[in-house]
Amino acid sequence: MGDYALLYILFAPFFGALALIFVSNRQALLVRGIAAGSAFISLIASLYLFYAYDPVAGGYQFIQRFEWSRQLGIALYLGVDGIGTPLVLASSILLFAGIFVSWHIKDRAKEFYIWILILAAATIGVFMSLDLFFLYFFYEMSVIPMYLLLGMWGSHTKKYLEMTDPEGMKQRDSVGFIFNFGSNSKEYAAMKLVLFLSAFAVAAFMGILLIYKYSGLNTFDILVLREHASTLMNIPVLGTTLDKIIWVLIFFGFASIAPLWPLHSWSPVGHAAAPAATSMLHAGVLMKLGHFSIIRVAYEILPETTRELMPMAAVLCMFSIVYGGFVAYYAKDTKYVIGYSSSSHMGYVFLGMAALDYISLSGAVIYMFAHAMATGMLFSMAGWVYDQTHTRDIPSLGGLSNKMPFISACFVVGCMASIGMPGTVNFVAEVMIIVGSWNKYPLQVVVAVLGIVLTMAYLFKMMRSLFYGPMDQKYSHSHDAVAFVDRLPLLIMISVSVGFGLFPMHLYNVVRSGVDPLIAKITHVVPVAALPAPESPAASLHEQLAARGAQLPESPAAQ
Amino acid sequence: MNFELNMTFADLLLLLPEIFLTLWLCLVLIVDFAFPRLPKEQLAYLSVAGLGVTLGCLAWFDLTHISGSLFGNMFVLDRMAIFFKMFIVGASILVILASTEYVSRFAFFRGEYYFLIVMSALGMMFMASANDLLSLFVTLEFSTFGFYVLVAYLREDLASNEAGLKFFILGVFAAGLLAYGISLVYGETGKLVFSDMASAPATPGLIIGFLLIFAALGFKIGAVPFHTWIPDTYHGAPTPVTAFLSIAPKGAAIAILLRLFFVALFAFKPMWVLLLAAVSVLSMTYANIVAIAQTNIKRLLAYSGIAQIGNILIGLAAGTKMGNDAILFYLLTYLFANIGAFAVVIAMSQAIGSEEINDYSGLNRRSPFLAFSMLLFLLSLAGVPPLAGFIGKIYIFVAAIKEGLYTLITVGLVNIVISMYYYLIVVKKMYIAEPIDPSPIRISGPMKAVVYVGLGGTLLIGIYPQPFIDWVVSATMMFSHLPAPAATALPPVPPLGG
Repeated sequence: MGDYALLYILFAPFFGALALIFVSNRQALLVRGIAAGSAFISLIASLYLFYAYDPVAGGYQFIQRFEWSRQLGIALYLGVDGIGTPLVLASSILLFAGIFVSWHIKDRAKEFYIWILILAAATIGVFMSLDLFFLYFFYEMSVIPMYLLLGMWGSHTKKYLEMTDPEGMKQRDSVGFIFNFGSNSKEYAAMKLVLFLSAFAVAAFMGILLIYKYSGLNTFDILVLREHASTLMNIPVLGTTLDKIIWVLIFFGFASIAPLWPLHSWSPVGHAAAPAATSMLHAGVLMKLGHFSIIRVAYEILPETTRELMPMAAVLCMFSIVYGGFVAYYAKDTKYVIGYSSSSHMGYVFLGMAALDYISLSGAVIYMFAHAMATGMLFSMAGWVYDQTHTRDIPSLGGLSNKMPFISACFVVGCMASIGMPGTVNFVAEVMIIVGSWNKYPLQVVVAVLGIVLTMAYLFKMMRSLFYGPMDQKYSHSHDAVAFVDRLPLLIMISVSVGFGLFPMHLYNVVRSGVDPLIAKITHVVPVAALPAPESPAASLHEQLAARGAQLPESPAAQ
Repeated sequence: MNFELNMTFADLLLLLPEIFLTLWLCLVLIVDFAFPRLPKEQLAYLSVAGLGVTLGCLAWFDLTHISGSLFGNMFVLDRMAIFFKMFIVGASILVILASTEYVSRFAFFRGEYYFLIVMSALGMMFMASANDLLSLFVTLEFSTFGFYVLVAYLREDLASNEAGLKFFILGVFAAGLLAYGISLVYGETGKLVFSDMASAPATPGLIIGFLLIFAALGFKIGAVPFHTWIPDTYHGAPTPVTAFLSIAPKGAAIAILLRLFFVALFAFKPMWVLLLAAVSVLSMTYANIVAIAQTNIKRLLAYSGIAQIGNILIGLAAGTKMGNDAILFYLLTYLFANIGAFAVVIAMSQAIGSEEINDYSGLNRRSPFLAFSMLLFLLSLAGVPPLAGFIGKIYIFVAAIKEGLYTLITVGLVNIVISMYYYLIVVKKMYIAEPIDPSPIRISGPMKAVVYVGLGGTLLIGIYPQPFIDWVVSATMMFSHLPAPAATALPPVPPLGG
């Protein structure tokens, strides 16, 4: 496979979806087989990608470039750096796991797998796009499958039943239902998700168009734009400069999917309505599209502006962490708890990104990977519990560990991973974020540590009331995950989480190779490890930087 | 003005598609009268055959770059005209194929239905070539004439009659405006051919005249505030006629608008950019907001069509060759998505006898193929990747941003989100709601072919647009003298890595 690894990863799910169109829904095994097979190809190729990626060489590797439109300056330009590689791996792991988590789906299984494959392929496409147009293309493409997955296979929350009034009038079908924030039907959640994400995506697209115009290069190529664009955009406009406007458009446009604090409200509702596999992909990788796109577009193309404006994110991320944590503590729905916990944890990623430090940004990227595994586990188990008990109401559940010992044991591991216990990759990531941002944002770090305590509180609370204590007799028919296909996804995610927790070095090196040039460009602080580059002598690089008035590192950052 | 009709046979060649189609039209009519017992479907295939030959002939013109002008520049055959003619003929073929079953609903004159469709297509083909004010008036009325009859073709149906009457009265009113505008422009300039007016000074009479002409064309394309006839007419007309009405006349009128603004009026560009921007913002915003409240799929598509015209006008307001490329490209994507969506509506109205969105409940369980096709067509209209409509919208936005039309682009982007809401409401009915009557839906062969063509075009243009972009770029070669947007040469790609 070698050079074509990216094409395998990206197109295996697409072709799987295409093949599924021609299979009848009655051939259940064939349908699942095709879905699992194409996800497996993608998984194997991304494992290869992850280990074949050369962190010493760094930069963009596995480049594929196909001219797509000359007039518009668009090429299908694929390539991964140290930041994209682990996220591609996370996506394909979660896709593969998600197919098995939804193995027992009965209703329109074929369509389910088609949409989930398209969703995963689109997210993978964002992680490997080196062309702004295709980044947006895949980004938008991942939104519509979410609508159908939520709407067709999702579930209503408890409040939903209250929405039908005695005369049988279905308020949820009224035109104004989109503004009715009290309703929690799956239709509402799906529509809110799509409209919210599209609205902010077009804001980001406006930013992309402005970059396109003011760079004057007639290209969407990120690698060209990052060399030439930033200097061209110091145009004063509306009392500020153009690059700031573009940066704000791009940052908030993409931060909505991340989701950063005031823009998060679509996310928990969407998590709660979605079927388990969709929640996994949604929380596991879809949310990371936001951080990733901010890094890929704002950090790469507008480094100077990023340095000026990124403190904004450091302020907002505190609200994310605390607000999400408290809502998760008081939520009574298993998926709401995990959903708000995700949006709280995404605050850590923003903190790591905002500190603009080698260690903290690497920590943020590793955190994205780690969170994908941890939240994937939690959502898949919440889905299992829901399938068995048909409720997500935490107070009414209890004592399930007798009935499902395997699930409850995995749940403990999932909680530990989510909290960031040593031994899981989340620990590595959290420590790096905290250490890396301490110098710049001590207050935020204190908040983040308090957030970990909060995480512990709500996850233990949920664990206790789900699996321990007295059990209601109506749940006595629930089963454990016994079959191999049911245990496989959890085992995969646990082993990845623990495996990288114990041996994080390759992951760290890969991520670091992507983070280093970025931070060096933004802060002009040269990482110590990167100084003795083989071609350029260290001294001359120092001189260059000193000439530019850059600040040199006083002490090597802890690694 | 002197008309010397010194035509040669070589000149006649330029008229070959029209002449052929006129003869074929007579043939269709004769066959209809001569063989009264012939199944009317055969007439459909006969008409399609004629249109197919015409399409082939136009493709031959396009490939061999045959072009020229006739009758003292009244009639031009350039590559843009050929593009629009192919657009119109293609739309007619698809509409006829989609209406073979529907025709059985007409109580009388089933054969003439095809005659009228092809006749309107013929009128619009002339319209695509119209290059002066007189031929503009004649061809516009010629093409509308067939529609007046077609819209009211369901004689027993009150809605259809109302639609026909409304369309007729407003259409005639628009024709009056057009004639008045033409007389004012002629009075001011003494010229009829577009290219001769390019240097005319901007007198009030001339401006009013052009505004009146624009109003009449705005009526044709259904831009706000000239849209009032659209919802009722689309709603009441027989559905295949609605499909035809929503695509072909818009294409033909856009061809005229392009010639009018870029050949006759290019000196007044700063003025008409404002006019187009205002009409575009109104069309997009008004239509998208009103579409939210619709319960009938044809009315929804009517408003969606008005909004799409708003998008097209963004490209026109850009006022560059690239903007015109984008318009032609957008029309192509609109053709496939809209004809496909209407084909599904026709198939549904044959199967369940209703065009209410509520009756689309659970379509995914009743006919996964129709539901999936409708999903893709609506998403393409909304502008979702990887479908054609997305590329069309992006093309227009890119063309507009190069001219710095930020307000228009912002409004256009916001409207994408608004429109997504009502398209998704239909998707919600089809995919999420449970069917009231779970019986499967059967569709006829020709209908299936139309849906497949729509699907093929929508996906192909969305995934690999380059050949189509090349086509539209070469079709608008006549505008290559327009000032190109400032774009610096592409610097060499820097070495990878780092």
